Amino acid sequence: MPAVPEGIAEHAAILRSDARVLAECAERLREIEARLEAAGVAPPWLRTSMEAHLAACAAASDDLTQAAATLRHYAERTRP
Amino acid sequence: MSGEKDGDAALLRAAARELADIGVMIREASVHATAALTEGAALGAVARAPAAGCLAQRALLRAVTNGRGLGYAFSGGVLGTLAAKLGAMVGGESLAVRVLATSLRLRIAAVALDHPELTGDPMLARLVEAAAADRDLEAVRALRVLLRDRGAVRTLSELAPVFGEVLALRALLDENPLNDATAWLIATGKGYATADPITGMSNRAIAVLDTGEGAARRVDLAALESARLSRSGSLLGFLRNISLLGTTGRILIQSVEGQDGVTRHIVQAPGMQAGQPDNDSPQDLLGAFSSAVLDSSPYSRALARAVDDYGLPHGAELALVGHSAGGAAIMNLVQDAGFCARHTVTHAVAVGSPIDFKRPADPRTWIASVTNQHDIIPTLDGQGAGGCFDLHPDWYVVDYSDPTHLFPLCHGIEHYIANLADDLPEAHARIDGQLTPYQGRVVRSQAYQLFDRAPCPEGFPFLTVPTYPAETPGGTIELPVRCQDGGALTAYFAAEQGAAADLLKGTGLGPAVRLAGRALVVVHASWNRRTSLGAYREVHLGVVVPDPWRPGSPRVWPDLPRGADRRRSGSFMAGSIVDTGLACAVAPRLWGGEPYMAPVEFELTDRAARVAVGGLEDRLLVLSGSLGPWLPASDRDLVGYMRSADATLRSCVRTSGPGRVHPAPRVRLTVGQAAHPLAGRLRELGLDGARPLLCLSTPVRQTLQDACVPVPIG
Repeated sequence: MPAVPEGIAEHAAILRSDARVLAECAERLREIEARLEAAGVAPPWLRTSMEAHLAACAAASDDLTQAAATLRHYAERTRP
Repeated sequence: MSGEKDGDAALLRAAARELADIGVMIREASVHATAALTEGAALGAVARAPAAGCLAQRALLRAVTNGRGLGYAFSGGVLGTLAAKLGAMVGGESLAVRVLATSLRLRIAAVALDHPELTGDPMLARLVEAAAADRDLEAVRALRVLLRDRGAVRTLSELAPVFGEVLALRALLDENPLNDATAWLIATGKGYATADPITGMSNRAIAVLDTGEGAARRVDLAALESARLSRSGSLLGFLRNISLLGTTGRILIQSVEGQDGVTRHIVQAPGMQAGQPDNDSPQDLLGAFSSAVLDSSPYSRALARAVDDYGLPHGAELALVGHSAGGAAIMNLVQDAGFCARHTVTHAVAVGSPIDFKRPADPRTWIASVTNQHDIIPTLDGQGAGGCFDLHPDWYVVDYSDPTHLFPLCHGIEHYIANLADDLPEAHARIDGQLTPYQGRVVRSQAYQLFDRAPCPEGFPFLTVPTYPAETPGGTIELPVRCQDGGALTAYFAAEQGAAADLLKGTGLGPAVRLAGRALVVVHASWNRRTSLGAYREVHLGVVVPDPWRPGSPRVWPDLPRGADRRRSGSFMAGSIVDTGLACAVAPRLWGGEPYMAPVEFELTDRAARVAVGGLEDRLLVLSGSLGPWLPASDRDLVGYMRSADATLRSCVRTSGPGRVHPAPRVRLTVGQAAHPLAGRLRELGLDGARPLLCLSTPVRQTLQDACVPVPIG
């Protein structure tokens, strides 16, 4: 079992990685929508939904980045 | 046009699949954030760095509750799961759920390309839209309108192609936390629906109610059924056999000599029986459920036992074909490593079955699944026409639609046979091509009746007695005669004492038991529907007599209701009628008399009885009318006395079954005009037009009747 600061730092690293994943998700969502629009098969409601998801992914990515940064700082402060 | 539509649908499904992937990734991020917030490492160190700790906690809390980001996204771990459920109850929604909902809506859009009625029909579209948007009241109203307009069957049938998606959408978005896991599984295609998507009630919890180790007993098919069995192996032949078996709890195993001279074997398993949800057959509703949800069920275990009993040579090749629940059950055998080690399962064909999450133990087993998109049964595992995941790249999956949208019609085996024969020539040819080794002459067919657990012998324990062969004029029979299913009516009359005394003269029996100065006489009729002598009916006239050794004893009345083994009184048999030659031939061995042969009619209901002896032209007697009110009573044994040339014979019929006493019967005995000795006796006894004092009826009973025994009297 990792020591306390290392444990917190591990969480921070995972969240930092997740923030990147969320940003990639936003990019994938944009591509999916574009693909369906280009093929002319996108349902009329899709754009609104996808825009909401995109914005949420971007915001979630920011939140996770922020959480990772505060955790990293927290881990530093708890080192003996 | 169709190709273009297929391409569009494929694009939408691919997008739905990607969205589901993204939903899973977002959820993983939520799980990680929840863990960081709730696990001990971060919480435990707050005392060391309170300011930094509080900042971190606040940032994490914001990450898993920000409605503009991950949403209400508690997930994983004990605290996270609890918080997620509480959040779901107040409508908390996460980004992952919203993305999955979009994925499900794209799946519905893909299905709608093949089924334009789903969006083109305003009523259906309104329901689908309302359900998808979590507008409960509107969804209920739309459903009510649909049900009123089209009835339950049509509504269900029309919704069938998107049934799973609509239910999953509702489950994802509603406030019930119990169905979220199932909705997640349906939306991501990660596993079978573990719970009812509406209530959240665990499917597994229901399925485990279906208990039993499974049992199979060989049964003979009726001659007509045997004649219609397929004589050569082919897909349609096997499916027609399944149709022939019907949902009767039976399965069929056949052996086919292939064109290469090798004999191979085919198990053919029908679907669910209608009727009670849980009976002694594994083909009941619970059995269908457990076969679909569990890896092993009483149905599949019973199938395995039938295969064991059939006696396959080691290494023999086996194909399994099943419809509906039968398809799920055979797939349970396919994923049973032990079964597949004992037998070489080469092919499995499931028709109209929920088998998406079955995993074959042997990857070499060729599997085909045939499903009609309007058939709801195959979607019960959560994956239907809208499925966007290629769960079985190595299976041959035929998921089609035909103009018949009505469920359950489109689920019927006959409908699948017609579709394969007429509408799906390519699929039919492909499966038949795979089954080529099983095409050839059928060299053996054996049907089995399946049970949840080994059935006790019929009539156990009452009819479980030692038997012995006995020679009779009718041939060798087994004694005692055992009746598994019969019914009886006994009517007690007050008769002319003098006529009764005349009947008893010279027998050493009597005097007749009296009641208010008249002799007690009994007319007993029974219909022995299933016996070791075959079915037969019988009618007896008896004069009730006391203990032959204590004729004057006042204890005759308490003695009358005793069991045959302790009863000393009985009925002197003054005449008997039976309606089969075998019963007539065996009678001297059973009760000593020589009965008359005549047609006997016997009808007994809760309220009335009708016994008629003789034909319309030569009617001997009719006992019919209302039986009146009744009280429960155990059925009474019968004890008869008969005088032969050199001895008095005592016979017993031991009975088991719930009886009824009718203290005020309204039946009436009418003696016919036939010049028959028994009719004469009845008239002499004054019984023509008489009503009985008391009747005993037993609609269902079992009986045991051994040979009569000589008793030394006088």
